[in-house]
Amino acid sequence: MSRSPRFLVASGVLLLCGAWSNQARAVGVAAGTNIDNTAQVTYSVGSVSATATSNTTSVTVAEILDAVVTLQTPSVPVVPGAVQQEMVYRLTNTGNGPETFQLQMTSSLGGDEFDPTPSSPSIYFDTDGSGDLTAGDVPYVAGSNDPLLAGDAFVTVLVINDIPVGATDGNRGFSRLTATARTGSGAPGTSFAGQGANGTDAVVGTTGGDGEATGQYLVASIAVNALKSQAVVDQFGGSRPIPGARINYTIVVSATGSGAAAGTVFNDAIPANTTYVAGTLQLNSVALSDAADADAGDFSTVPAARVRVQLGNLTQASGSQTIQFAVTIN
Amino acid sequence: MIQGTVKFIAAAVIACAFHAPAFAQANCVELKTTGEVEKEVVNDKGEKTKTLVAAADTKVIPGTEVIWTVTAKNACKESSDKVVITNPVPEHMTLVPGSVFGAGADVTYSVDGKTFAPAGKLTVTDNGATRAARAEEYRQIRWEFKNPIPAGSSAFGRFRATLN
Repeated sequence: MSRSPRFLVASGVLLLCGAWSNQARAVGVAAGTNIDNTAQVTYSVGSVSATATSNTTSVTVAEILDAVVTLQTPSVPVVPGAVQQEMVYRLTNTGNGPETFQLQMTSSLGGDEFDPTPSSPSIYFDTDGSGDLTAGDVPYVAGSNDPLLAGDAFVTVLVINDIPVGATDGNRGFSRLTATARTGSGAPGTSFAGQGANGTDAVVGTTGGDGEATGQYLVASIAVNALKSQAVVDQFGGSRPIPGARINYTIVVSATGSGAAAGTVFNDAIPANTTYVAGTLQLNSVALSDAADADAGDFSTVPAARVRVQLGNLTQASGSQTIQFAVTIN
Repeated sequence: MIQGTVKFIAAAVIACAFHAPAFAQANCVELKTTGEVEKEVVNDKGEKTKTLVAAADTKVIPGTEVIWTVTAKNACKESSDKVVITNPVPEHMTLVPGSVFGAGADVTYSVDGKTFAPAGKLTVTDNGATRAARAEEYRQIRWEFKNPIPAGSSAFGRFRATLN
Protein backbone atom coordinates (compact mmCIF):
# COMPACT_ATOMS: atom_id res chain seq x y z
CA MET A 1 0.00 0.00 0.00
CA SER A 2 2.66 2.50 0.92
CA ARG A 3 4.89 3.86 -1.82
CA SER A 4 8.42 4.99 -1.38
CA PRO A 5 8.73 8.72 -1.14
CA ARG A 6 10.51 10.32 -4.06
CA PHE A 7 13.28 12.78 -3.46
CA LEU A 8 14.26 15.60 -5.61
CA VAL A 9 17.57 17.13 -4.71
CA ALA A 10 17.12 20.41 -6.45
CA SER A 11 20.63 21.65 -5.94
CA GLY A 12 21.19 25.04 -7.46
CA VAL A 13 17.79 25.45 -9.05
CA LEU A 14 17.51 28.99 -7.75
CA LEU A 15 20.99 29.88 -8.91
CA LEU A 16 20.13 28.53 -12.32
CA CYS A 17 17.28 31.00 -12.61
CA GLY A 18 19.75 33.72 -11.67
CA ALA A 19 21.96 32.74 -14.55
CA TRP A 20 19.04 32.99 -16.93
CA SER A 21 17.93 36.41 -15.81
CA ASN A 22 21.49 37.53 -16.46
CA GLN A 23 21.04 36.46 -20.08
CA ALA A 24 23.28 38.20 -22.53
CA ARG A 25 21.65 40.85 -24.67
CA ALA A 26 22.81 41.09 -28.22
CA VAL A 27 23.26 44.39 -29.95
CA GLY A 28 20.86 45.74 -32.51
CA VAL A 29 21.26 46.38 -36.20
CA ALA A 30 22.70 43.48 -38.19
CA ALA A 31 26.17 43.79 -39.67
CA GLY A 32 26.09 44.72 -43.35
CA THR A 33 22.93 46.84 -43.05
CA ASN A 34 23.11 50.10 -45.00
CA ILE A 35 22.09 53.23 -43.14
CA ASP A 36 20.96 55.80 -45.69
CA ASN A 37 20.26 59.47 -45.17
CA THR A 38 18.54 61.70 -47.72
CA ALA A 39 17.20 65.17 -46.93
CA GLN A 40 14.77 67.42 -48.77
CA VAL A 41 14.57 71.17 -49.12
CA THR A 42 11.84 73.51 -50.29
CA TYR A 43 12.48 77.17 -51.04
CA SER A 44 11.35 80.14 -53.09
CA VAL A 45 13.24 82.30 -55.52
CA GLY A 46 11.11 85.32 -56.22
CA SER A 47 7.65 83.86 -56.78
CA VAL A 48 8.87 80.43 -57.88
CA SER A 49 8.90 77.62 -55.32
CA ALA A 50 11.13 74.64 -55.80
CA THR A 51 12.08 71.40 -54.17
CA ALA A 52 15.40 69.62 -54.14
CA THR A 53 16.64 66.35 -52.77
CA SER A 54 20.09 65.83 -51.35
CA ASN A 55 22.59 63.15 -52.17
CA THR A 56 22.14 59.93 -50.20
CA THR A 57 24.83 59.36 -47.64
CA SER A 58 25.23 55.69 -46.88
CA VAL A 59 26.99 54.02 -44.01
CA THR A 60 27.42 50.26 -43.72
CA VAL A 61 27.09 48.73 -40.25
CA ALA A 62 30.24 46.87 -39.24
CA GLU A 63 30.23 43.53 -37.41
CA ILE A 64 30.79 43.44 -33.67
CA LEU A 65 32.67 40.43 -32.35
CA ASP A 66 31.26 39.54 -28.95
CA ALA A 67 30.63 36.35 -27.03
CA VAL A 68 29.17 35.58 -23.65
CA VAL A 69 29.53 32.22 -21.92
CA THR A 70 27.24 31.53 -18.97
CA LEU A 71 27.26 28.61 -16.60
CA GLN A 72 23.97 26.76 -16.29
CA THR A 73 25.04 24.39 -13.50
CA PRO A 74 26.67 26.46 -10.73
CA SER A 75 27.84 23.57 -8.56
CA VAL A 76 27.85 19.95 -9.61
CA PRO A 77 27.69 17.48 -6.70
CA VAL A 78 30.00 14.52 -7.35
CA VAL A 79 31.53 11.54 -5.58
CA PRO A 80 35.23 10.60 -5.77
CA GLY A 81 36.04 8.44 -8.81
CA ALA A 82 32.91 9.44 -10.74
CA VAL A 83 33.40 9.50 -14.53
CA GLN A 84 31.94 11.74 -17.23
CA GLN A 85 30.56 14.37 -14.90
CA GLU A 86 29.06 17.24 -16.84
CA MET A 87 28.86 20.97 -16.52
CA VAL A 88 26.36 22.80 -18.70
CA TYR A 89 27.35 26.06 -20.37
CA ARG A 90 25.62 28.35 -22.79
CA LEU A 91 27.53 30.27 -25.47
CA THR A 92 25.67 33.29 -26.87
CA ASN A 93 26.81 35.33 -29.86
CA THR A 94 26.13 38.84 -28.55
CA GLY A 95 27.51 40.38 -31.72
CA ASN A 96 25.39 41.61 -34.61
CA GLY A 97 26.41 39.16 -37.31
CA PRO A 98 26.96 35.45 -37.87
CA GLU A 99 30.21 34.31 -36.28
CA THR A 100 32.10 31.07 -35.78
CA PHE A 101 33.54 30.38 -32.34
CA GLN A 102 36.41 28.23 -31.21
CA LEU A 103 35.90 26.37 -27.92
CA GLN A 104 38.47 25.44 -25.30
CA MET A 105 38.21 23.90 -21.88
CA THR A 106 40.67 23.65 -19.06
CA SER A 107 40.53 22.00 -15.68
CA SER A 108 44.02 23.04 -14.50
CA LEU A 109 42.93 26.04 -12.48
CA GLY A 110 44.00 27.49 -9.17
CA GLY A 111 41.85 28.16 -6.14
CA ASP A 112 40.34 24.70 -5.89
CA GLU A 113 41.28 21.55 -4.01
CA PHE A 114 41.58 19.15 -6.94
CA ASP A 115 41.91 19.26 -10.71
CA PRO A 116 39.16 17.38 -12.50
CA THR A 117 40.46 15.13 -15.28
CA PRO A 118 39.07 16.12 -18.69
CA SER A 119 37.29 13.18 -20.31
CA SER A 120 38.12 12.39 -23.92
CA PRO A 121 36.38 14.07 -25.67
CA SER A 122 35.82 16.74 -23.06
CA ILE A 123 33.44 19.11 -24.89
CA TYR A 124 30.09 18.08 -26.35
CA PHE A 125 27.20 19.96 -27.89
CA ASP A 126 23.92 19.29 -26.13
CA THR A 127 22.59 18.21 -29.50
CA ASP A 128 19.34 16.75 -28.18
CA GLY A 129 18.75 19.68 -25.83
CA SER A 130 18.37 17.39 -22.82
CA GLY A 131 20.84 19.29 -20.65
CA ASP A 132 22.52 15.93 -20.00
CA LEU A 133 25.25 14.01 -21.77
CA THR A 134 23.44 11.42 -23.87
CA ALA A 135 24.32 9.14 -26.77
CA GLY A 136 22.94 11.64 -29.29
CA ASP A 137 25.24 14.49 -28.23
CA VAL A 138 27.96 15.36 -30.76
CA PRO A 139 31.52 15.83 -29.49
CA TYR A 140 33.24 19.11 -30.36
CA VAL A 141 36.27 18.87 -32.62
CA ALA A 142 38.24 22.14 -32.87
CA GLY A 143 38.45 23.43 -36.43
CA SER A 144 35.98 20.86 -37.66
CA ASN A 145 32.60 21.67 -36.13
CA ASP A 146 33.19 25.05 -34.52
CA PRO A 147 29.72 26.45 -33.80
CA LEU A 148 28.47 29.08 -36.25
CA LEU A 149 25.99 31.31 -34.45
CA ALA A 150 23.79 34.04 -35.87
CA GLY A 151 23.62 37.28 -33.89
CA ASP A 152 21.73 36.63 -30.65
CA ALA A 153 21.79 32.84 -31.15
CA PHE A 154 23.18 30.47 -28.53
CA VAL A 155 24.36 26.90 -28.24
CA THR A 156 24.40 24.68 -25.16
CA VAL A 157 27.76 23.07 -24.51
CA LEU A 158 28.63 20.29 -22.07
CA VAL A 159 32.06 20.13 -20.43
CA ILE A 160 32.92 16.62 -19.25
CA ASN A 161 35.44 15.67 -16.56
CA ASP A 162 36.25 12.63 -14.42
CA ILE A 163 36.64 13.10 -10.67
CA PRO A 164 39.91 11.81 -9.17
CA VAL A 165 39.57 8.94 -6.73
CA GLY A 166 41.63 10.86 -4.18
CA ALA A 167 39.21 13.79 -3.89
CA THR A 168 37.59 14.01 -0.48
CA ASP A 169 34.40 15.46 0.94
CA GLY A 170 34.02 19.20 0.62
CA ASN A 171 36.74 19.44 -2.05
CA ARG A 172 36.11 21.66 -5.06
CA GLY A 173 37.45 21.22 -8.58
CA PHE A 174 37.10 23.99 -11.17
CA SER A 175 36.70 23.65 -14.92
CA ARG A 176 36.42 26.46 -17.45
CA LEU A 177 34.96 26.87 -20.94
CA THR A 178 36.32 29.61 -23.21
CA ALA A 179 34.83 30.63 -26.56
CA THR A 180 36.68 32.89 -28.99
CA ALA A 181 35.41 34.52 -32.19
CA ARG A 182 37.23 32.99 -35.17
CA THR A 183 37.40 36.33 -36.97
CA GLY A 184 39.46 37.75 -34.16
CA SER A 185 39.59 38.88 -30.55
CA GLY A 186 41.60 41.32 -28.47
CA ALA A 187 41.18 44.78 -27.05
CA PRO A 188 37.72 46.27 -27.64
CA GLY A 189 37.85 48.45 -30.74
CA THR A 190 40.43 46.33 -32.55
CA SER A 191 39.25 46.03 -36.12
CA PHE A 192 39.66 43.52 -38.91
CA ALA A 193 39.14 45.16 -42.29
CA GLY A 194 36.75 43.37 -44.61
CA GLN A 195 36.46 40.31 -42.38
CA GLY A 196 32.98 40.92 -41.01
CA ALA A 197 29.67 39.63 -42.31
CA ASN A 198 29.06 40.44 -46.00
CA GLY A 199 32.55 41.88 -46.38
CA THR A 200 32.03 44.56 -43.74
CA ASP A 201 34.73 45.41 -41.25
CA ALA A 202 34.72 43.48 -37.99
CA VAL A 203 35.29 45.28 -34.70
CA VAL A 204 36.03 43.65 -31.36
CA GLY A 205 33.21 44.51 -28.95
CA THR A 206 33.14 45.08 -25.22
CA THR A 207 33.65 41.39 -24.38
CA GLY A 208 36.93 41.34 -26.30
CA GLY A 209 35.47 38.91 -28.82
CA ASP A 210 35.64 36.05 -26.37
CA GLY A 211 33.84 34.81 -23.30
CA GLU A 212 34.48 32.33 -20.53
CA ALA A 213 32.83 30.88 -17.48
CA THR A 214 34.09 28.62 -14.74
CA GLY A 215 32.09 25.94 -13.00
CA GLN A 216 32.83 23.75 -10.03
CA TYR A 217 32.46 20.17 -8.94
CA LEU A 218 31.83 19.71 -5.23
CA VAL A 219 32.59 16.38 -3.62
CA ALA A 220 29.83 15.49 -1.22
CA SER A 221 28.93 12.03 -0.09
CA ILE A 222 25.71 12.83 1.64
CA ALA A 223 22.88 10.32 1.59
CA VAL A 224 19.28 11.19 2.29
CA ASN A 225 17.17 8.42 3.76
CA ALA A 226 13.47 8.21 4.46
CA LEU A 227 11.64 5.74 6.62
CA LYS A 228 7.91 5.52 6.12
CA SER A 229 5.47 3.93 8.57
CA GLN A 230 1.69 3.83 8.74
CA ALA A 231 -1.09 3.32 11.26
CA VAL A 232 -4.64 2.39 10.21
CA VAL A 233 -7.60 3.52 12.29
CA ASP A 234 -11.03 2.31 11.18
CA GLN A 235 -14.31 4.00 12.03
CA PHE A 236 -15.24 1.19 14.40
CA GLY A 237 -12.31 1.73 16.73
CA GLY A 238 -10.24 -1.03 15.13
CA SER A 239 -7.30 -1.04 12.74
CA ARG A 240 -8.78 -2.80 9.71
CA PRO A 241 -8.07 -1.24 6.29
CA ILE A 242 -11.67 -0.94 5.16
CA PRO A 243 -13.36 1.82 3.14
CA GLY A 244 -13.66 4.87 5.38
CA ALA A 245 -10.68 3.90 7.51
CA ARG A 246 -7.94 6.45 8.01
CA ILE A 247 -4.25 5.84 7.42
CA ASN A 248 -1.80 8.06 9.30
CA TYR A 249 1.57 8.17 7.59
CA THR A 250 4.81 9.14 9.29
CA ILE A 251 7.98 9.65 7.29
CA VAL A 252 11.30 10.30 8.96
CA VAL A 253 13.89 11.92 6.68
CA SER A 254 17.52 12.12 7.67
CA ALA A 255 20.83 12.94 6.01
CA THR A 256 24.04 11.08 6.74
CA GLY A 257 27.56 11.78 5.54
CA SER A 258 29.38 14.99 4.81
CA GLY A 259 28.34 18.02 2.82
CA ALA A 260 24.82 19.25 2.27
CA ALA A 261 21.90 18.02 0.20
CA ALA A 262 20.91 21.41 -1.15
CA GLY A 263 17.26 22.27 -1.70
CA THR A 264 15.92 18.87 -0.64
CA VAL A 265 12.27 18.45 -1.52
CA PHE A 266 10.10 15.66 -0.11
CA ASN A 267 7.45 14.52 -2.56
CA ASP A 268 4.95 11.77 -1.81
CA ALA A 269 2.12 10.64 -4.04
CA ILE A 270 -1.25 10.01 -2.37
CA PRO A 271 -1.78 6.24 -2.78
CA ALA A 272 -4.35 5.02 -5.30
CA ASN A 273 -7.88 4.47 -3.91
CA THR A 274 -7.28 6.83 -1.03
CA THR A 275 -8.11 10.50 -0.44
CA TYR A 276 -5.90 13.00 1.34
CA VAL A 277 -7.42 14.34 4.57
CA ALA A 278 -7.29 18.12 4.26
CA GLY A 279 -5.16 19.94 6.80
CA THR A 280 -3.26 16.91 8.09
CA LEU A 281 0.20 17.75 6.70
CA GLN A 282 2.78 18.36 9.44
CA LEU A 283 6.54 18.88 9.64
CA ASN A 284 8.12 18.11 13.02
CA SER A 285 4.63 18.28 14.60
CA VAL A 286 3.97 21.76 13.20
CA ALA A 287 0.91 21.99 10.93
CA LEU A 288 1.52 23.09 7.33
CA SER A 289 -1.30 24.58 5.30
CA ASP A 290 -2.38 22.73 2.16
CA ALA A 291 -1.88 25.81 -0.01
CA ALA A 292 1.42 26.49 -1.79
CA ASP A 293 2.43 29.48 0.31
CA ALA A 294 5.05 30.75 2.73
CA ASP A 295 5.20 27.56 4.79
CA ALA A 296 7.26 24.59 3.64
CA GLY A 297 4.42 22.26 2.69
CA ASP A 298 1.55 22.01 0.25
CA PHE A 299 -0.95 19.55 -1.18
CA SER A 300 -1.81 19.49 -4.86
CA THR A 301 -3.96 17.36 -7.15
CA VAL A 302 -2.11 18.53 -10.27
CA PRO A 303 -0.95 16.54 -12.13
CA ALA A 304 -1.65 13.82 -9.55
CA ALA A 305 -2.50 14.03 -5.88
CA ARG A 306 0.63 14.50 -3.76
CA VAL A 307 2.01 16.21 -0.71
CA ARG A 308 5.26 18.12 -0.83
CA VAL A 309 7.54 19.51 1.84
CA GLN A 310 10.55 21.72 1.12
CA LEU A 311 13.27 20.64 3.52
CA GLY A 312 15.91 23.11 2.33
CA ASN A 313 19.58 22.31 2.82
CA LEU A 314 19.87 19.09 4.75
CA THR A 315 23.07 18.10 6.51
CA GLN A 316 23.78 15.39 9.01
CA ALA A 317 23.63 18.08 11.71
CA SER A 318 20.06 18.95 10.66
CA GLY A 319 18.85 15.77 12.41
CA SER A 320 15.70 13.86 11.50
CA GLN A 321 12.78 15.61 9.89
CA THR A 322 9.40 14.06 10.63
CA ILE A 323 6.62 14.49 8.11
CA GLN A 324 3.07 13.36 8.81
CA PHE A 325 -0.17 13.28 6.83
CA ALA A 326 -3.34 11.23 6.65
CA VAL A 327 -5.55 9.67 3.98
CA THR A 328 -8.85 7.82 4.05
CA ILE A 329 -9.55 4.64 2.13
CA ASN A 330 -12.18 5.19 -0.60
CA MET B 1 25.80 52.05 -91.01
CA ILE B 2 22.96 54.41 -91.81
CA GLN B 3 20.73 52.58 -89.39
CA GLY B 4 23.31 53.02 -86.64
CA THR B 5 23.46 56.76 -87.11
CA VAL B 6 19.71 57.09 -86.94
CA LYS B 7 19.62 55.20 -83.64
CA PHE B 8 22.33 57.41 -82.20
CA ILE B 9 20.41 60.59 -83.02
CA ALA B 10 17.23 59.14 -81.54
CA ALA B 11 19.04 58.39 -78.30
CA ALA B 12 20.39 61.92 -78.09
CA VAL B 13 16.94 63.39 -78.55
CA ILE B 14 15.54 61.24 -75.73
CA ALA B 15 18.36 62.29 -73.43
CA CYS B 16 17.58 65.95 -74.10
CA ALA B 17 13.91 65.37 -73.47
CA PHE B 18 14.67 63.94 -70.01
CA HIS B 19 16.96 66.75 -69.04
CA ALA B 20 14.79 69.59 -70.28
CA PRO B 21 12.45 69.88 -67.24
CA ALA B 22 15.41 70.08 -64.85
CA PHE B 23 16.80 73.10 -66.60
CA ALA B 24 13.41 74.80 -66.44
CA GLN B 25 13.36 74.63 -62.61
CA ALA B 26 14.86 77.25 -60.34
CA ASN B 27 17.69 74.94 -59.37
CA CYS B 28 19.13 77.30 -56.84
CA VAL B 29 19.56 75.41 -53.60
CA GLU B 30 21.91 72.46 -53.59
CA LEU B 31 21.40 70.15 -50.64
CA LYS B 32 24.13 67.92 -49.32
CA THR B 33 24.18 65.49 -46.40
CA THR B 34 27.27 64.23 -44.64
CA GLY B 35 27.62 61.68 -41.86
CA GLU B 36 30.53 61.93 -39.48
CA VAL B 37 31.73 60.14 -36.38
CA GLU B 38 33.64 61.67 -33.51
CA LYS B 39 36.96 59.97 -33.01
CA GLU B 40 39.34 60.46 -30.12
CA VAL B 41 42.89 61.11 -31.26
CA VAL B 42 46.07 62.08 -29.48
CA ASN B 43 47.58 65.27 -30.93
CA ASP B 44 51.30 66.08 -31.20
CA LYS B 45 51.24 67.56 -27.68
CA GLY B 46 50.08 64.20 -26.32
CA GLU B 47 46.60 65.55 -25.52
CA LYS B 48 43.43 63.69 -26.29
CA THR B 49 41.20 65.59 -28.67
CA LYS B 50 38.16 64.74 -30.68
CA THR B 51 38.13 64.94 -34.42
CA LEU B 52 35.41 64.24 -36.96
CA VAL B 53 35.91 61.55 -39.57
CA ALA B 54 33.54 60.63 -42.38
CA ALA B 55 31.24 57.86 -41.17
CA ALA B 56 31.87 55.91 -44.37
CA ASP B 57 35.60 55.76 -43.50
CA THR B 58 35.09 54.43 -40.01
CA LYS B 59 33.55 51.42 -38.29
CA VAL B 60 29.98 52.19 -37.43
CA ILE B 61 28.62 49.62 -35.00
CA PRO B 62 25.45 49.56 -32.89
CA GLY B 63 25.81 52.30 -30.28
CA THR B 64 27.91 54.54 -32.52
CA GLU B 65 26.74 58.16 -32.64
CA VAL B 66 26.69 59.62 -36.13
CA ILE B 67 26.62 63.39 -36.61
CA TRP B 68 24.48 64.17 -39.65
CA THR B 69 24.86 67.57 -41.29
CA VAL B 70 22.62 68.77 -44.07
CA THR B 71 23.85 71.86 -45.89
CA ALA B 72 21.77 74.01 -48.22
CA LYS B 73 23.88 76.12 -50.56
CA ASN B 74 22.31 78.84 -52.66
CA ALA B 75 24.03 78.56 -56.04
CA CYS B 76 21.94 81.25 -57.72
CA LYS B 77 22.50 84.96 -58.16
CA GLU B 78 19.28 85.76 -56.30
CA SER B 79 18.57 84.97 -52.66
CA SER B 80 16.39 81.99 -51.78
CA ASP B 81 13.57 82.54 -49.36
CA LYS B 82 11.39 80.28 -47.21
CA VAL B 83 14.06 77.60 -47.07
CA VAL B 84 12.78 74.49 -45.29
CA ILE B 85 14.96 71.43 -44.88
CA THR B 86 13.37 68.15 -43.85
CA ASN B 87 15.52 65.21 -42.84
CA PRO B 88 14.21 61.88 -41.63
CA VAL B 89 16.09 60.24 -38.78
CA PRO B 90 17.70 57.42 -40.79
CA GLU B 91 16.23 53.96 -40.44
CA HIS B 92 17.82 51.85 -37.65
CA MET B 93 18.88 55.03 -35.87
CA THR B 94 17.60 56.94 -32.84
CA LEU B 95 17.79 60.68 -32.46
CA VAL B 96 19.98 61.83 -29.57
CA PRO B 97 17.76 64.11 -27.41
CA GLY B 98 18.82 67.74 -27.47
CA SER B 99 21.29 67.22 -30.30
CA VAL B 100 19.47 69.12 -33.05
CA PHE B 101 21.14 72.35 -34.08
CA GLY B 102 20.31 74.91 -36.75
CA ALA B 103 21.42 78.55 -36.56
CA GLY B 104 18.65 80.92 -37.57
CA ALA B 105 16.08 78.18 -37.97
CA ASP B 106 12.92 77.15 -36.17
CA VAL B 107 13.22 73.42 -35.53
CA THR B 108 10.17 71.18 -35.48
CA TYR B 109 9.76 67.43 -35.29
CA SER B 110 7.38 64.76 -36.43
CA VAL B 111 6.68 61.18 -35.44
CA ASP B 112 4.52 60.40 -38.49
CA GLY B 113 5.98 62.66 -41.19
CA LYS B 114 2.72 64.62 -41.38
CA THR B 115 2.34 66.66 -38.19
CA PHE B 116 5.32 68.82 -37.25
CA ALA B 117 5.62 70.58 -33.90
CA PRO B 118 8.36 72.01 -31.67
CA ALA B 119 10.09 69.69 -29.19
CA GLY B 120 7.81 68.77 -26.30
CA LYS B 121 4.63 69.68 -28.14
CA LEU B 122 4.28 66.50 -30.14
CA THR B 123 1.96 63.82 -28.83
CA VAL B 124 1.52 60.17 -29.62
CA THR B 125 -1.32 57.79 -28.86
CA ASP B 126 -0.17 54.91 -26.73
CA ASN B 127 -2.77 52.20 -25.92
CA GLY B 128 -5.55 54.71 -26.47
CA ALA B 129 -3.98 57.36 -24.20
CA THR B 130 -2.35 60.52 -25.49
CA ARG B 131 1.05 61.42 -24.12
CA ALA B 132 4.00 63.61 -25.06
CA ALA B 133 6.28 62.02 -27.65
CA ARG B 134 9.77 61.17 -26.46
CA ALA B 135 12.78 62.50 -28.37
CA GLU B 136 13.73 58.96 -29.41
CA GLU B 137 10.35 58.65 -31.12
CA TYR B 138 10.95 61.61 -33.43
CA ARG B 139 11.31 60.31 -36.98
CA GLN B 140 11.61 63.60 -38.90
CA ILE B 141 13.39 66.86 -38.24
CA ARG B 142 12.52 70.11 -40.00
CA TRP B 143 14.50 73.33 -40.10
CA GLU B 144 12.59 76.46 -41.23
CA PHE B 145 15.11 79.22 -41.87
CA LYS B 146 13.79 82.59 -40.74
CA ASN B 147 15.89 84.62 -43.16
CA PRO B 148 16.56 84.19 -46.87
CA ILE B 149 19.85 82.61 -47.89
CA PRO B 150 21.78 85.17 -49.92
CA ALA B 151 23.35 84.26 -53.23
CA GLY B 152 26.41 82.08 -52.78
CA SER B 153 25.76 81.51 -49.07
CA SER B 154 24.90 78.35 -47.14
CA ALA B 155 22.78 77.33 -44.18
CA PHE B 156 22.90 74.04 -42.36
CA GLY B 157 21.08 71.85 -39.89
CA ARG B 158 22.73 69.19 -37.76
CA PHE B 159 21.69 66.33 -35.50
CA ARG B 160 23.14 63.30 -33.82
CA ALA B 161 21.65 59.84 -34.02
CA THR B 162 22.74 56.57 -32.45
CA LEU B 163 22.83 53.32 -34.39
CA ASN B 164 20.35 50.89 -32.85
